[in-house]
Amino acid sequence: MPLGFGTHEWAQALETAINASSEYRNAAASWGVGFNGNLLLAFERGGALEQGLYLLLKLERGRCLAAEFVPGPSRPEAGFTLRAPYPIWREILNGKTLAASAILTGSMRVEGNMIALLKHAGAHRSLIHCVSSLDTRFPGA
Amino acid sequence: MAVDRLYQLLQNRIEGVVSTPDQFHPAQLTNFGNLYHWTPRFVVEPASARDVAAVVAFAREHGLTISVRGSAHSQSRLAISNGGILLSMTSMRRILPPDPSGRTVDVEGGVIWRDLVRALAPRHLVPPVLTNNLSVTVGGTLAIGGLGLTSFKYGTQGDNVQELDVVTGTGEKITCDRKRNSDLFWGSLAGLGQAGIITRARLDLRKAKPMTRTYYLLYDDLRGFLEDAKAAMESGVWDHLESWASPCPQGTKPVAGRRQVFARWFYPFHLTVEFDPENPPDDAKLLRGLKPFDRLYTDDLPTIDFLERMIPVFDLWKRGGTWGHVHAWVETVLPWERAADCIESVLPDLPPSVLVGGHVLLWPAKGTSSRSRFFMRPPGVDLMGFGVLPAIPPRFWEQARPMLDNLGRLTELMGGKRYLSGYIDWDEDRWREHFGDQWEPYCALKRKYDPDSLLNPGFVPFPAARPAGVPAAD
Repeated sequence: MPLGFGTHEWAQALETAINASSEYRNAAASWGVGFNGNLLLAFERGGALEQGLYLLLKLERGRCLAAEFVPGPSRPEAGFTLRAPYPIWREILNGKTLAASAILTGSMRVEGNMIALLKHAGAHRSLIHCVSSLDTRFPGA
Repeated sequence: MAVDRLYQLLQNRIEGVVSTPDQFHPAQLTNFGNLYHWTPRFVVEPASARDVAAVVAFAREHGLTISVRGSAHSQSRLAISNGGILLSMTSMRRILPPDPSGRTVDVEGGVIWRDLVRALAPRHLVPPVLTNNLSVTVGGTLAIGGLGLTSFKYGTQGDNVQELDVVTGTGEKITCDRKRNSDLFWGSLAGLGQAGIITRARLDLRKAKPMTRTYYLLYDDLRGFLEDAKAAMESGVWDHLESWASPCPQGTKPVAGRRQVFARWFYPFHLTVEFDPENPPDDAKLLRGLKPFDRLYTDDLPTIDFLERMIPVFDLWKRGGTWGHVHAWVETVLPWERAADCIESVLPDLPPSVLVGGHVLLWPAKGTSSRSRFFMRPPGVDLMGFGVLPAIPPRFWEQARPMLDNLGRLTELMGGKRYLSGYIDWDEDRWREHFGDQWEPYCALKRKYDPDSLLNPGFVPFPAARPAGVPAAD
C-alpha cells in the first residue's frame, strides 16, 4: 500500500530502504567520513505541493542513521542541502531527469561543498533510487 | 538534374575542383563524431592559397558560408557544412624542404602530420608535439590546439609555430607571426577557424634520436600514479609521457537499480626516452623513485615507429567496425588538485563496454608550457588531461548522451577546460564560461576578421552571428 509522501511513516520506510540497499552501502561507503554527510532534501513549494517539505537524512559510511521530515527551509545539522521546486523533484524521482543533471544545470541548488558532493555522485544516485523505489502516494498523483 | 547555377561560376574562379551534391562522398556529409549529417552546396578542393581567397570572395558575393575541413576529426559542428561551401583542405598538402639549419619547415594547411613525419624522418627531425592520431591535418590541429605526449614540455602544437599564412573571412591573405598581425596569429591558433583559414604554417622542428625505449608501468592506485606522473614531468629525463585508465571488469552491480558491468580501474603509464643505439638508456637510473604496481614491458622502437604507434590500434578499430560509430569524446584539462576527485567520481560507474573501440586517456601536462591565448586551460602549473573517448553504436546514442552531457558538466564544474575537437553542444553561456576573460577578445577577433560570419558557422554562437546553414540568397 503506498505511503503518503511527507509522512513520518514514509520517512521511516525510506530509512529502512536505504539501509537495505547494497547499492547504497557500497556507493556511499566513504560518504560522511571526515565531513558532515547529513543531507537536507528541500522539496520547495510548486506544482501540487502547496507547502515546502524538508527531509533530513543523517547519512554516514553507507548507512542512514535517521530520516525525518523537519520544519523550516534549512537545518544547522545538515552538511548539504539539495533544494529544488517539487516538480523538478518529481521529474527526478520519476526518472525523467537525472539528479546529477539537475545539479549540474542549476535547476537543483546545492548548499555545501559542491566538489565533495560531485565526488560522491554514485552515492547520491543510489540514494535517489532508494527514494524513487518507495511505493509512494505523491501530492497530485 | 539541374546544374547549380553557381557551380560553373565558382569553378571558373579557381584551379582546384568544385563538386556538387551528386558527386559527394558520404564521408563528406559528417565528421568523426558521426553526430551531425549535413549536406553542403559545394565541396571545394583548393589548389592554392589563391584559390582559398577566391572561394572566400565568391562566398561573400553570393551569401554562402564556408566550413573548413581537414581530416574532419572534430566531433561537433565543425568540418561539415549545411548548405554552404565545404572547403576540403587536404588538397593543399605541399611540404617544403626544412630550412638549412633544420629548425623549421613550411607546410600547407592540408598536410597530414603523418606525411610530414615521414618526410622528415630521414633527417631525424620531428615537430616538437605530435597528436596521437597522425592522420589529421596541420591546419586542423592548429585551429584546435593540438596536444600530444610531449605537451608537458612543449605545450600545444600551436605553441610551436613561427609563422602562418591565413585567408581571413574578408578574403585577405595575411602573413602573421608573434609580432606581425599578432592578433590574427594567436587567433588562428586554437581559434577554431573563426578568424581565418590557415593555408601555410612555418612549424618548429627539433632533432630526434633514432630510437625510443618505452617503459610500460602499471599502477593500481590513481593517487600513486598522479604522484609518479608529476615526478616524471619534473625529472626532465623523459621525452614522452602517455597514460590511460584501463578497466578490469569485475562482474555486475546495481546502478540506479539496474545491474551493469563494473570494473576495477588500473592506470598504465608509458614513459619514453629517445636514444642513440650506441648509447642505450640506463633503465635503473631512469626508473629510480617511481613506484608502480608492476613493470610490465620495455619496448625499443625506431622513433618513426614509435610516433606511428597508434596506427595499428586505429586500424583495429576500423576493422572492428567501431570507427563508424558515434564518437562523442569528452576531453578536459583538469586542475591538478581536482584531478583525482574528478576521475574517481567518474570511473566507478563508467561501463567498460563504452570503451570498445575507444579508451580513457590521462595526460599529465604543464600549464606553463603553453602561451596560446585561446587554448583555454585551468590556472596552475600542473594539469591533468582526462579524456573519456567512447565509440557508441548509433542506436545507443540517446541512452549514452545524458551520461556524457553530465560528464562534461562535471569536469567543467571541477574547474576543467574542455578540449574543443570533442563533443561540444554548448549554449552561449557555456562558451563564455569556457573562454572566461578571453571571450570578448575572441568575439572582437571574429568581428574584425570575419565580420559577416562566413567561416565555420554553427559551432560557436557569437552574438549576432548568422545561423548555420541559412540558404544562400542566390
